[in-house]
Amino acid sequence: MQFSRIVYVELYKVFRKPRTYIAFMAIAVIVGLIQLGFYADGDNYIQFGMQSLSDSFDIGGNILNGYLMAYIILQTMLMQVPLLIALVSGDMISGEANLGTLRLLVTKPVSRTMLILAKFTASNIYTIILLIWMAIWSLGISVLVFGANDLLILKSEQVTQILASDVLWRYVAAFAYACLAMITVSALAFFLSLFAENSIGPIMATMSIIIVFTILNTLDLPIFSGIKPFLFTSHMLGWKGFFDVKLNADNEQIIGSIENIRSVLISAFILLLHTLGFLFASIIVFKKKDILS
Amino acid sequence: MKTAIQISNLTKRFKSFTAVDKLSFSVNQGDVYGFLGQNGAGKSTTIRMMLSLIKPSEGDIQIFGLSLEKEREKILSKTGAVVEKPDLYKYLSAYENMKLFSILSGISLTRAEIMRQLAVVGLEKRANDKVKVYSQGMKQRLGIAVALLNDPSLIILDEPTNGLDPQGIADIRSLILMLSKDQGKTVLVSSHLLSEVEQIADSMIIIDRGKKIIEGKVSELINPFSVQLEIISLDNVAAKEVIMHSAWSSGITYASTEKILINLNKDMIPALFKFLVEQNIQLINIKTTNTLESYFLSITNDHAV
Repeated sequence: MQFSRIVYVELYKVFRKPRTYIAFMAIAVIVGLIQLGFYADGDNYIQFGMQSLSDSFDIGGNILNGYLMAYIILQTMLMQVPLLIALVSGDMISGEANLGTLRLLVTKPVSRTMLILAKFTASNIYTIILLIWMAIWSLGISVLVFGANDLLILKSEQVTQILASDVLWRYVAAFAYACLAMITVSALAFFLSLFAENSIGPIMATMSIIIVFTILNTLDLPIFSGIKPFLFTSHMLGWKGFFDVKLNADNEQIIGSIENIRSVLISAFILLLHTLGFLFASIIVFKKKDILS
Repeated sequence: MKTAIQISNLTKRFKSFTAVDKLSFSVNQGDVYGFLGQNGAGKSTTIRMMLSLIKPSEGDIQIFGLSLEKEREKILSKTGAVVEKPDLYKYLSAYENMKLFSILSGISLTRAEIMRQLAVVGLEKRANDKVKVYSQGMKQRLGIAVALLNDPSLIILDEPTNGLDPQGIADIRSLILMLSKDQGKTVLVSSHLLSEVEQIADSMIIIDRGKKIIEGKVSELINPFSVQLEIISLDNVAAKEVIMHSAWSSGITYASTEKILINLNKDMIPALFKFLVEQNIQLINIKTTNTLESYFLSITNDHAV
């Protein structure tokens, strides 16, 4: 049987469930509120942020533009979006077990491996669509409302200015990276959904793992330093690497450059390894699983 | 006659509990096969193994001469099943459920074809309603329609009349007979009700605690002239005394202050009725009841008088 037809069945089910649209609404509402807040009071916020720099630099132009808004939104939301991802991915198997449809599904002439791959693909397509939706709101609408200009990113020790003409491809790359990070989260929730008969468990477990790993990341204790590079949560914000630019001898931005592309690629590779690990584990568990629901 | 299902030494253990214990039986093609047992006897576990939902601990399952372990997809493409409750996607309509499961069954049906299938189970007018608003009977019928989507040669129905009203039960019974007698399909029906199975099945097996108790042709196993009679009178103690001291005493299988159960030949019912009236037993109700429990007790001689 064609794999694409089974994926179609899975996507049909995903997008006919009311809960699927919670995530889309949540993103629209949260991003909309952030945009509204910045539209009303953004100048004060920017002035406050730039206070320390205004003595040394003469900063002018439209700093609070759509590109900066997208950066702020991405930074704010990419740790919350996993919950919205887990809402659907954590329900892929456990939801079927809860409905009692898993046993009917497994009595159809489709191999268990193909079934799990189709479900995994469907949950990833949902994740990608959700990220595209987020990109439309955080980047597209922000640029429409706030306009486009150079992106000024304030970090603890430096300010990075990226020319407007050099920003858009960085966002495309950042969202692609964010997709990979969220697919890793999706794969984890998907794997956990194999062990439950309702979706609450996998969703809670996924979020708990992310919270625990994030805390481990922030704890500056030597005992955890050995495992930190291997935790997928350490690499979820790797998209920021696309906004670190190289400078030439005159301290000017080199157009199209990324300061540490190797680090970004290693982070992406670790996320990919986690995703594949969760997928293979899901296939093995599901193939051996007795369907008792 | 060709064999549709051949089960050999099938065993399923869940840790230290053995749900199915070296079970062997065979089903001929075109037969309606009754799979009987009390709740918890191991029927559903056996059916789940036959549908590859759970893996046997030991034993072999051959369907249409193919090994289930090696030819799973080939076998399932010719099999339709309703396992326990007919759970479907509640947030989808009957039509949508049928459409999705037809794709998963490897066939592509047009709307007209799906509506025709729904008409077989009497749901064509409710095709666009969401399953969540369906009654239990409608869900059961939709479950059967889904099982029949791929025009299967083997249909496995696990307790198909559970939760149905008398009309629903009669409809399912007619459908099973039509599928078997008119279309030549092999139907395996599990039930804990002997009366249900004896009306439709050609052969049957009774299992208990995962083991086979008896297997054979229904006509050979159940005497069609023998019935179990349930007697309820104003004074059941007196009625029991009267029967115990008569020629009918050997037929009593159960007696309490609530009711008396007695096995006898159908022809003898009027004579028993006359005898009880002559003995001034004030009868409230007399009815025939053939339960699996009574049959099970009769074949194991475990009478509870």
